[in-house]
Amino acid sequence: MIFLQVRRIRQTIATCLFSSLCAFATLCHSQSSQALTLYHRSLAATCANCHGTNGKGVVDGGMPLINNITSEQMLAQLKAYKSGALEGTIMPQLMRGYSEEQIEIIAQQLGKKE
Amino acid sequence: MNRRHFIGQGAAALGLLSGFSTQARANIPKAEILVIGGGYGGATAAKYLRLFSNNTAKVTLIEPNAAFISCPLSNLVVGGSRTLADITIPYSNLSKLHGINIIQDSAIKIDAHRKLVELGNGKTLSYDKLVLSPGISMLTNSIEGLAQANRQGATLQAWKAGPETVALYQQLKAMRDGGTFILSIPEAPFRCPSAPYERACQVANYFKQHKPKSTVLILDANQDVLTKAALFKKVWAEQYAGIIKYLPQYNVIAVDAKTKTVKFEIQDQIQGDVLNILPAMSAGEIAVKTGLANSNGRWVNVNFLNFESTAQKDIHVLGDSIQVANAMPKSGHMANQQAKVAAAAIVAELNDWEINPSPVLTNACYSFVNATDVIHVDSVHQYITAEKTFKPVHGSGGVSPGPSALEGIYAWGWAHNIWADSLG
Repeated sequence: MIFLQVRRIRQTIATCLFSSLCAFATLCHSQSSQALTLYHRSLAATCANCHGTNGKGVVDGGMPLINNITSEQMLAQLKAYKSGALEGTIMPQLMRGYSEEQIEIIAQQLGKKE
Repeated sequence: MNRRHFIGQGAAALGLLSGFSTQARANIPKAEILVIGGGYGGATAAKYLRLFSNNTAKVTLIEPNAAFISCPLSNLVVGGSRTLADITIPYSNLSKLHGINIIQDSAIKIDAHRKLVELGNGKTLSYDKLVLSPGISMLTNSIEGLAQANRQGATLQAWKAGPETVALYQQLKAMRDGGTFILSIPEAPFRCPSAPYERACQVANYFKQHKPKSTVLILDANQDVLTKAALFKKVWAEQYAGIIKYLPQYNVIAVDAKTKTVKFEIQDQIQGDVLNILPAMSAGEIAVKTGLANSNGRWVNVNFLNFESTAQKDIHVLGDSIQVANAMPKSGHMANQQAKVAAAAIVAELNDWEINPSPVLTNACYSFVNATDVIHVDSVHQYITAEKTFKPVHGSGGVSPGPSALEGIYAWGWAHNIWADSLG
């Protein structure tokens, strides 16, 4: 997914820099930073069913809480689930369905903000 | 420069440049967004429309029930280890915490051309965007005599959690030891493919403790157990030998309320004591009535990027009512996931942003095999642009190695979190 978005952003920036103001406004508008933020939020929201809205899980609800670790720690854990280095019940199975780039975005979105 | 850094910089650059645009409709606060149905799909859509619009969208949720009662875990109520109160959540947080206008009523008619919804109380609401998450309808008339048997209380479905769930438990409690509980399963697709097999476990668990001479007879119209087949069969053999009997390819075509007998296309009729007869299902009645069920007249085809009906613009359909993509279950978890994709797409569309071209869905389905031990199946579904559909990612997803109490804790963790995510 992100490969596509990155490519689009690159194309968009290139167009913005080198074409007319009119084309520039239209293209830039189609992929604004707000839209990108929305996509990132909605990607992270795929985790919310089990780990709570915006990563804030129900305390003592029975599911491991994830809002007490940093983005870097979360990224390392998610990658370890994906590679099989870290065992689990559903997490290794789910992480194999996400791309590396998606996992990076999720960790950035849900990691504890200092 | 690493990719993350690049994305951040790119987005920042675009944020500055987007100020040149004067085309944005920016009409989110003005748009009337109605959500019909407060289940896992509708409640989540209402909440996330507010979250994703930074609380600027005007959202009204139309739901006839006073509180949400979860279908997932309701089999524990059928088996008597939990009560309905354990799986009931109020709707009040959606209004208190998220500013959603809740109307406790039924939507009885949609005028898709004039963009109007008529309520049970006679009032009419207009919409710019309609999110429709009406669940399923039971095709009671697909089985001869079932409507009458239901009216007489000789058969139950208990496939929408609520009073019927409790009524089924009470029938099992009243049944003599040595009696037969018949659970018939229609051909797929139907709401929650693993739920009948979980229900069989829960009733068998109750019988094992209280009525050990009794039988759970599963009559399945399908070729085999539809999901977690090896796991369920192992549990039936190891925990419920002599109690659960599984008969595949038994398609119920008629039921006699007086004699409590079920009849089949091919095999001889069978008599039981408590009859849980599940007929074929379709999209919720209002979706069918509105002409949205354009897949075999039963399910609603949607554009999977935004869950908009292919039959009517500006009506986004979620959950059990849709014609699913390959290996996409009709589950509460999936409805919640679809709702977030739809909510993000609606917010993007109303802002004149491009809809996310690569949405993702997950599913996790926990089944209790007794009061404490659980097995799961899970999957990840990525949108494939070239095929305009979601597909499960090869090599991802899977099932439990076997039932465990740890997964029982996670199943309750899942429930508490998805209830909070959808309603809190």
